Amino acid sequence: MRASPLHDLLAARGAVFGERAGAEIIMRFGDPAAEYRVVREAVGISDMSFLTRFAVPEEGLDLLEAYAAGAVASIRFGRVLHTFAADEEGMLEADLFIANDDTRLLMLGESLVDDSTGAAALRGLGAEAAGLEDLSAKTAVIGIDGYRAFAVARELFGADVLGLPYLSVETYELLGEEIRLIRAGKTSEFGYLLLVPAERAADCWLEIERAGAAFGIRPVGAEAHGALRLDGRFFNIHAEGAAVRDPLPLGLQWMIDFEGEDFRGKRAIAARREAGLGRKIIGVIPADPAGGLEARDAILLEGEPVAEVVCAVDSPTLGSRIGLALFDVAWAYSGLTYGRDRGGAVRTISMPPFMPRSLTVKLDEQ
Amino acid sequence: METKTAILERIEERAEVLRRIKEDLISRLNLPYRPEDLHEDVSLLGSGLGLDSLDALEVILGVEHAFGVKVAEDNIGILRSINTIADHVIAERRGGEAVS
Repeated sequence: MRASPLHDLLAARGAVFGERAGAEIIMRFGDPAAEYRVVREAVGISDMSFLTRFAVPEEGLDLLEAYAAGAVASIRFGRVLHTFAADEEGMLEADLFIANDDTRLLMLGESLVDDSTGAAALRGLGAEAAGLEDLSAKTAVIGIDGYRAFAVARELFGADVLGLPYLSVETYELLGEEIRLIRAGKTSEFGYLLLVPAERAADCWLEIERAGAAFGIRPVGAEAHGALRLDGRFFNIHAEGAAVRDPLPLGLQWMIDFEGEDFRGKRAIAARREAGLGRKIIGVIPADPAGGLEARDAILLEGEPVAEVVCAVDSPTLGSRIGLALFDVAWAYSGLTYGRDRGGAVRTISMPPFMPRSLTVKLDEQ
Repeated sequence: METKTAILERIEERAEVLRRIKEDLISRLNLPYRPEDLHEDVSLLGSGLGLDSLDALEVILGVEHAFGVKVAEDNIGILRSINTIADHVIAERRGGEAVS
């Protein structure tokens, strides 16, 4: 298993570790609901070193065009593209951020396959000739997410950081080390990913905690992130992505450059697009807030199945369970009430179901 | 539980609103997608379609023009997704009733 450079520091803080696609991941530090609320109301710090991370010189652009579904060649300097990689059948393999970082491209990924499988796919597309460099052993990734995340970033890097738009990358210094700051959270609150040297990762974590103390910073694990993503309606490859695999019913067409270069799996995806969507996911909650909702619950219309829940979590913001269900497209509309195989009713909802506090903050007034 | 007939009536109303919103979005913003490519929950601001403030203004103008409803300047919340715009349109048609 690929261990995090922050393992020892965070084990001493009570981190409960798990594994995702061969990489160590922190599931929680304590109560996931409390960690969720830290992000919605203050700011959380997370070890995101389970992400794969690669650098490619600009001459190696063709490799990433052949690997990723989005318009990699169109990423402007200092900007970041959110896209995915698929297998030959056009099924999801990794959720990617690709950043244009001056003379190279940085690629951070959440993968459904382990490092060796992912590396084999990249080798097959010409990784060696493209000069692909695996940064996993040299770096750690620290996430800062939350309503007050911008204040922690400002404390660390100065007021200029507030001018960074969502999906951008910039170089800063932290403890005398050159680091990359990517504004790219997945919680619907402000979010930053810091790519830091592995040997200074623990020092950087402590420095971020120091800077964030006045803003209520607390460590946050993957279970809380799972809930934040679902009720913030950010794609989670380890939840609905792993359950469905096909990017089209998941509504990920916006990540695909249909008119651009061929990428791995594009033909299969294009063929399914032409055939038309049969199913797609939409948000659901129990009609009774106290009612449960679990993956694999069948959703019924007059006794006949029309959908199945693919993932569900507790949403502290809504005070109920919330999930995503894969519906026959004819019935995949929000604002409706359906039955359920194990009793009770579920309501389909528009997502995201609430206004994140961060969207109300005007950074130019901070 | 709603009956199939009741659900079909509500779907018909919503599908028509969603279709017009998607066509207007694609046309106004010159998006390289077909209407069926746009999931109704795709985020419009930040992630997803990544609209900037000028795009957002265009979308609001489009909604007001297409459906004859008003969108308050500070009501950025309705731009969270295509579905939340549709919720606003349908609610306005029904005199402010919440629809989702």
